[in-house]
Amino acid sequence: MATFALKSFTGLRHSSTDHTTLLSHAPSSLSRSQRRTSLKVTASRASPKLSNRNLRVAVIGGGPAGGAAAETLAQGGIETILIERKMDNCKPCGGAIPLCMVGEFNLPLDIIDRRVTKMKMISPSNIAVDIGRTLKEHEYIGMVRREVLDQYLRERAEKSGATVINGLFLKMDLPEDWDSPYVLHYTEYDGKTGATGQKKTMEVDAVIGADGANSRVAKSIGAGDYDYAIAFQERIRIPDDKMTYYEDLAEMYVGDDVSPDFYGWVFPKCDHVAVGTGTVTHKGDIKKFQLATRNRAKDKILGGKIIRVEAHPIPEHPRPRRLSKRVALVGDAAGYVTKCSGEGIYFAAKSGRMCAEAIVEGSQNGKKMIDESDLRKYLEKWDKTYLPTYRVLDVLQKVFYRSNPAREAFVEMCGDEYVQKMTFDSYLYKRVAPGSPLEDLKLAVNTIGSVFRANALRREIEKLNV
Amino acid sequence: MSISMALFSPPISSSLQNPNLILPKISLSLLSTKRFSLLSRASSENGTSTPDSAAVSATTVEIPKPVEDVPVKPPVESSSDETDLPTTTTEIKFQDAKWVDGTWDLKQFEKQGKTDWDSVIVAEAKRRKWLEDNPETTTNDEPVLFDTSIIPWWAWMKRYHLPEAELLNGRAAMIGFFMAYFVDSLTGVGLVDQMGNFFCKTLLFVAVAGVLFIRKNEDLDKLKGLIEETTLYDKQWQAAWKEPESSSTVSSKK
Repeated sequence: MATFALKSFTGLRHSSTDHTTLLSHAPSSLSRSQRRTSLKVTASRASPKLSNRNLRVAVIGGGPAGGAAAETLAQGGIETILIERKMDNCKPCGGAIPLCMVGEFNLPLDIIDRRVTKMKMISPSNIAVDIGRTLKEHEYIGMVRREVLDQYLRERAEKSGATVINGLFLKMDLPEDWDSPYVLHYTEYDGKTGATGQKKTMEVDAVIGADGANSRVAKSIGAGDYDYAIAFQERIRIPDDKMTYYEDLAEMYVGDDVSPDFYGWVFPKCDHVAVGTGTVTHKGDIKKFQLATRNRAKDKILGGKIIRVEAHPIPEHPRPRRLSKRVALVGDAAGYVTKCSGEGIYFAAKSGRMCAEAIVEGSQNGKKMIDESDLRKYLEKWDKTYLPTYRVLDVLQKVFYRSNPAREAFVEMCGDEYVQKMTFDSYLYKRVAPGSPLEDLKLAVNTIGSVFRANALRREIEKLNV
Repeated sequence: MSISMALFSPPISSSLQNPNLILPKISLSLLSTKRFSLLSRASSENGTSTPDSAAVSATTVEIPKPVEDVPVKPPVESSSDETDLPTTTTEIKFQDAKWVDGTWDLKQFEKQGKTDWDSVIVAEAKRRKWLEDNPETTTNDEPVLFDTSIIPWWAWMKRYHLPEAELLNGRAAMIGFFMAYFVDSLTGVGLVDQMGNFFCKTLLFVAVAGVLFIRKNEDLDKLKGLIEETTLYDKQWQAAWKEPESSSTVSSKK
């Protein structure tokens, strides 16, 4: 590795004493595993120091991923430009954030509209199970309005030094060689809504694609496609006496009528509830599923008025390529939505932050050009930290969402206190705490029992059909 | 079986005595339940949320009784922003004399002083079937509290596991006997000596596994699909690492 670095070093335009001292060290100092952020970090061996300017990075998309990435980049001394097409966008979203996000991202408590501390899981045969008894006083699931959260994160990025531009990213010219800039083509709106805007271009060294499920950045780099679910949601304003029931309670409905591979939900928002459902395999029937969800919650949303209907795709798994040269994808654009629960906000913000940290580290706070190996470090760290979580949720979805008996067993299992404790611990803090082996064994036995009973009842139902 | 047939049939009590009519009655009951489920699905498919007013005529026996309701006219769903949801709660509901307060009243299932768990299981299956065909709203006034774990484990075993175990053991025994005879006639190795042979032990293992996992013809395809399914998600995640290195810098990467 050292010889490679030496060879390319002779081709650099700028040399400095820093570089020679670095290279005279033992080659082992160049290995990634020995990187220490407190000392002088060896970036990609071959990149030069940028003369008289800082690294320029564009973040396309101003949602949680974009806002978090822009803030971290700006704080790291990098010249950051954030491009967002609609500053007051109310992205259709469940709006649930885990407790750890409030701490990790220093969110002020007033952007959280509601604290959900109780959940109800309802099986296909309407067996309802209450979840949340194991939550402690200070634990909750935060419900936010996306327009409020996104705006807050963007403002913070701006305060840290990022430039926020209201514009629509159109396409991107890929560079010819390793240190040419990316040329972004975008339409700048300059804050005027409805106007056609001005076509502009911009040159940047690196791009973070945080523009959501229909990412144009992903298309530009040929990142590939993913399977996606359609989430359909209706916002319903219900009478006050019915709203008190949903004061701090969210509901999840499972069943073939509600969705063949996902769940229907009733989530409380600031002054109304959001009733919705989603599906991957039967997208054409989504309206039917929505009617079924409304029917199941009928008594509890009686007399309500639908104030808004919205839908959005949700990625089911990551794109085949999450980065290419000096462009990386984060958030929904990369496909970081978990299965089973469909959670995306926290992972979007966290991946934005992680990618930005990798860029800051790889460029030594904006002094050096970065290359793909620096971005690969972000991918490695992400996969290492969160792949187990994604895998577990995938297994849960495969096992428990396949059929009505499986869903019945799932709801039965959720009544168990140990399950509730483990589920909430892993959801709220994003860590898999080791439970006691005896309880795990009991849980395994109970799961098998529930699945067996539910399938037995299914066989009985089939016998009745004959 | 005959009881359930009678329960689902229209109330033509005179025909009950005629055994020749039993077969057409099954198809009749099939038709009536299918028609019902079709109707309920159709009503949920059109844009309005009219409660299903097509009621099967109430029978005199105590079975899931659909309640005839006055169809409520919901407000027309306009294309404007605000749409009103129906404001009345009348609806076809699952009702049964033995279903009390959101759970099965076990005292009503007693036979000779002991609870007849089999009938509890059948009753719950009927309830689930009813709800699958006519999904109902959940309400806070009458929550469903039934938990299948109150039925003791041995009742489940006796009803489901034991018959299937008998079937599988029978299959394994037949295969085992025939294979032992076949191998003996071909090679002259008796049963006791076969057990000592590695190849025969492998055959035995394959036979047992086959009987356990392949019970129907569809199971073969299901197993193949299962292996694919379990590894798909991992493959999707690893795809990012499989791409050929496309960077133009001269450096070795992991």
